Amino acid sequence: MSNQEYDVIIIGGGITGAGTMRDCAMRGLKTLLIERSDIATGATGRNHGLLHSGARYAVNDPESAEECIKENMILRRIASHCVDETDGLFITLPEDDLAYQQTFVEACRKAGISAEVIDPELAKRLEPSVNPDITGAVRVPDGSVDPFRLCAANMLDGKLHGGQVRLHTTVTGFIKESDTIRGVHTRNLVTGEERDFYAPVTVNAGGIWGHDIAEMAGVHVGMYPAKGALLVFAHRVNNMVINRCRKPSNADILVPGDTVCIIGTTSTRIPFEECDNVSVTPDEVNLLITEGAKMTPSLSSTRILRAYAGVRPLVSADDDPSGRNISRGIVCLDHEERDGLKGFITITGGKLMTYRLMAEIATDAICRKLAVDKQCQTAETPLPGSEESSYEAVARKIWEKPSMAQKAAAARMGTRASRIRTRDTLDEALICECEEVSVGEVINAIERLDASTLTDLRRRTRIGMGTCQGEFCACRAAGLLAKSHGCIEKEREDLKEFLQERWKGNFPIGWGDTLREAEYTQWVYKHVLGL
Amino acid sequence: MKLQEYTSSTHNFEECMKCTVCTAYCPVLQVNPLYPGPKQAGPDGERLRLKDPFFFNYALKYCLNCKRCEVACPSGVKVADLIQAARIKYDTSPPKWRDRLLASTDFMGSLARPVAPIANAVTGLGVTRTMMDAMFKIDHRRTFPKYSPYSFEFWMGRHEKEQAAFGEQVAYFHGCYVNYNYPRLGKDLVKVLNALGVGVQLLDKEKCCGIAMITNRMTKEATRNAKHNVSELSKAVDKGLMVLTTSSSCTLTLRDEYPSLLGVDNSSVRDFVIMASRYIYERLEKGAALRFKPDYHKKVAYHTPCHMEKLGWGVFSEKLLRMIPGVEFTMLDSACCGIAGTYGFKRENYEASQAIGQPLFDQIKAVNPDVVACDCETCKWQIEMSTGYTVMNPISILAEAIDNNKTE
Amino acid sequence: MKFNTVIIGGGLAGLTAGISLQKAGCSTAIISTGQNALHFFSGTLESMEDAPQRVTDLFAEAGIALHYTPGVRLMPMGTFKKAALSLEDISLFPETKIGQKALIVSFTGYHDFFCSFLAEGLEKQGVQCRIKLLNLPELEQLEKSPSEMRSVQIARTMDRIWETVVREIRILLRDEDTVILPQVFGLRDTSVLSRIRQGIPAQVVFTGTLPPSVPGIRTQILLKRRYELLGGTYLMGDEATGAHVYDGAVHSIVTHNLGNHFLEADNFILSTGAFFSKGLKSNPFEISEPVFGLDVEQAGDRSDWYNPEFMREQPYMKYGVATDSSLHALKGGEPIKNLYAIGSILGETRPELGTGGGLAIRSALAAADEILKNTKE
Repeated sequence: MSNQEYDVIIIGGGITGAGTMRDCAMRGLKTLLIERSDIATGATGRNHGLLHSGARYAVNDPESAEECIKENMILRRIASHCVDETDGLFITLPEDDLAYQQTFVEACRKAGISAEVIDPELAKRLEPSVNPDITGAVRVPDGSVDPFRLCAANMLDGKLHGGQVRLHTTVTGFIKESDTIRGVHTRNLVTGEERDFYAPVTVNAGGIWGHDIAEMAGVHVGMYPAKGALLVFAHRVNNMVINRCRKPSNADILVPGDTVCIIGTTSTRIPFEECDNVSVTPDEVNLLITEGAKMTPSLSSTRILRAYAGVRPLVSADDDPSGRNISRGIVCLDHEERDGLKGFITITGGKLMTYRLMAEIATDAICRKLAVDKQCQTAETPLPGSEESSYEAVARKIWEKPSMAQKAAAARMGTRASRIRTRDTLDEALICECEEVSVGEVINAIERLDASTLTDLRRRTRIGMGTCQGEFCACRAAGLLAKSHGCIEKEREDLKEFLQERWKGNFPIGWGDTLREAEYTQWVYKHVLGL
Repeated sequence: MKLQEYTSSTHNFEECMKCTVCTAYCPVLQVNPLYPGPKQAGPDGERLRLKDPFFFNYALKYCLNCKRCEVACPSGVKVADLIQAARIKYDTSPPKWRDRLLASTDFMGSLARPVAPIANAVTGLGVTRTMMDAMFKIDHRRTFPKYSPYSFEFWMGRHEKEQAAFGEQVAYFHGCYVNYNYPRLGKDLVKVLNALGVGVQLLDKEKCCGIAMITNRMTKEATRNAKHNVSELSKAVDKGLMVLTTSSSCTLTLRDEYPSLLGVDNSSVRDFVIMASRYIYERLEKGAALRFKPDYHKKVAYHTPCHMEKLGWGVFSEKLLRMIPGVEFTMLDSACCGIAGTYGFKRENYEASQAIGQPLFDQIKAVNPDVVACDCETCKWQIEMSTGYTVMNPISILAEAIDNNKTE
Repeated sequence: MKFNTVIIGGGLAGLTAGISLQKAGCSTAIISTGQNALHFFSGTLESMEDAPQRVTDLFAEAGIALHYTPGVRLMPMGTFKKAALSLEDISLFPETKIGQKALIVSFTGYHDFFCSFLAEGLEKQGVQCRIKLLNLPELEQLEKSPSEMRSVQIARTMDRIWETVVREIRILLRDEDTVILPQVFGLRDTSVLSRIRQGIPAQVVFTGTLPPSVPGIRTQILLKRRYELLGGTYLMGDEATGAHVYDGAVHSIVTHNLGNHFLEADNFILSTGAFFSKGLKSNPFEISEPVFGLDVEQAGDRSDWYNPEFMREQPYMKYGVATDSSLHALKGGEPIKNLYAIGSILGETRPELGTGGGLAIRSALAAADEILKNTKE
């Protein structure tokens, strides 16, 4: 077998693709993952980062709820360094119907979700940021999960099991022989190199872009893009997930994630052309703040860091009477059965939460096609980095007296933090002061985690995600990147693109301290540094 | 309020623009690489601590609480408050005995004062200092302030009637230092105020302002004192009295640290507690007059104590001193002397403390004044010990310069 | 306390106005909310493309030498900008080919100076570059702290050990005619700069770093010292929180620290800067001036405040306090007769006064002249 031939090619470096890659590689398949941009650039990296307990779906979609709670418990075990076990509250506001609480709790119990009705006073003590006027509260096992880390860890494990990853590589066409997909034509978007890869099975895990990938392969998947807008507040206002105890609606979840908290979301159907460039409108910003402040009043006077939007790949299963509608959320289409196209599978729908289950379903389908009889082990085997239960334990195990940056690195990388180079004090120097990212951690991301741009670095280390939004760290990190790839001209453009990308999330909420910071950043880069 | 009309955060930490100006003015950072610096310890660290107390860094103890970061901050972030509040909230280990000892100025004073000559002799002994160093890690190179054989409160008790005779009255929060170590400053204030036709009375019972307790994490004790003092101050304020002080650190504590670090509401008394130099300046500005000795001459170099800088009231002391005929005034560059209350007494901080103060000591030696003026007692100890120059409170210089017989 | 003029904002504009007025015998006070934008000063007075005697004299008396020749200056990212009146740190060149060969020197572990970007930019102009990092034991103390290999902390060390740096560079130097160094020299005064220039047998170009700016802090220190020597009262770390305005004139201002002790004056100057310095405040609904509630020229709808392209000119940066021809600030469309707005709080509402440092100085001198004219009358 030449090095261009694989058992399976996965298109899409989101969480579904990464999870499928891991599962395939763990079952011994020779796996290639192709991603036109970077890890987690689509819906994977553009949501709340909520570790659903399933409670949100319990009333309307019990099947999803059951999937969520099962996967929730699995992720706590296998992805401890990506998960923050915060627990969550479903609160009833005076304007909400308290009677719904009972329906909700019953539905949760049926789905196997622990839902404990607690005294509103206790809820206020547990989570002081919550609206003091609440009339009811239910405690559920929600949490938060860092999608970038989760995606990176799955991909890394896939690689450790022999899989290969090609980032910044786009599929330009399929290699098709009559009714069979034999492989893909690709182009590397950085180097321009064109290559063909072959495999008996190709998996479309392109999220909303899977629609176009399917079209390219000659089949139709009925998806429609739904934009969801979110706001990031500059620090953690809450330490428990806060939800509204009512039928799911706009802006009714506030999730604490790493150093920030995130309110969302909205849901608007948008045309496919807009999927690559979604932006947050002033009306969406207003709605998110207004609704968010009802749950947590202090949001009305808390600094907002940025606004962003993601596109959910909603699948209109009803359009696909022939499709294998595995569950109401997860859609796995074997195009041989459905459309007579051999060697092609689409895995879509689902949620960040259920990525592992999606991967398992997809990999089962792949194995059936390849006649491979291997059991899925992803539910039992911890992801690389998650071998310890907490980052406190990790940090203390690796370093006798962990510094702030080392503690932060342990929280981001789990046990893999031990691989950060700490040759001397210079490696411990901070590149990003807001999020405590050291030179060593940045170099590790460049050398070991395939980061080739500042935005790649951001997803792997959190540089530029803190209060200053890259004002100081971006040019420092650019210096390190330039040193690694050697092309200054490229790095100069990369720096501009990074700052542009940050600004895109800043100006929709450009007032107060955010505008002050933006003015300062503009001043520094234009007038002081002369970029 | 409209949504997002304004934003707020604990000690304004979200107003930090990450400009790093505070780090350029932090005196500790220049001498101690173990200290993460005000930006990291303050607003940057706060976001991480809000995520998880695991991110509390014990190196925050190296902060002097000089507040120069706050004075320098272009964004109004209460950097030092953030750091002290974090120490109070997250460092739950019991304070060391040494720290308790140093912080209990009131208690130590009342113990030592009756046996002042012995206490002074003992703390001055080389062997005692070596022992204190060994037992408590109080640096043996440090000289201790002398205790007075009588307390200021005792002296005031004997002059109560004559003070009550003045038509106009003010209250005086003298602080531990004036009471136990240096009643002369209190007497000087009485002299100056009397010369302005104002009588002085004490609070019914003041307690140590608690600043040393705050920085040594004796929060419970500090809060108790704060509540007591606020209630005592209220009594004076209710009588229509202004409450004067002669120590910039006590003043900052009474006015600003009580609410911001201890959560003790002092809003009803805060505006009535002011430095005596400000009070006297305002009297003179409104037309009161002091007569000065015609032959008075002194070369005075004024050092702005950190907490005076934070109060923003150095200008009153400066203008008062400049008013005295015969005073040749030099303004020293505003910089920390390094003592920061009990900080410099601790063995682990001694070197840093002296290194921080060095530029100031050098400048004083270059100016070569007759006397250094400053409104803080711990600066006085530090500067006197480190330079050999005499340090006087501006009020004492004023008292020395006025001609009692001729003042109306 | 009463003064001839109270100046709110102690940056470049406020200090220039304060020094000018003190020199003319007016008593003034400056109130400054902490340190200011001089800490991010590039070293060049943007838009001041000449060297007016009055300006160079005013700075020279403070111990700050300014110079100007037409041409370009080298920016830290390896680009060039038009020359303007600059501190002695800044080299001005007639053209972008600043030499034949350049040695770019920085320090191991220092990430705030962009050697490779400089080299690439210069090589585009035909200047051959070589990068060398000095590994100085004297910097080890700073390296111990993860956040302290920064310009100001390095400058404190460099002001002590500049001779070592000169010696090391002389050893490294081959046939280069130009040596490029980060601006980490001369925190207190400029004597170190000239000593280094004398000690190295090549043209020495000090180039900017990430803030804080060492030349900027030095400029602030020297200007403030000059102002205080002239008898000015500089109230550091205080903030104007309100004002008493009667009959179209300001009577006094209220400050955070002084509380009910108001600052009275015949004239007031507002030099509180733009957004960063909180001279202008913004919320989702409007941009306002917080001390006096002055008129701010702005677009009504928030979506017009920004250009979605980061590197383009941003409309919000053009907004500023409205003024009449003699820089009296307007409130409700009417000028306040003894209040002048100067510096970056004007935004680009007065394009004839320039931008950046040029705007600060031109408007400060104009306001000081106006005050002196009125004081004499």
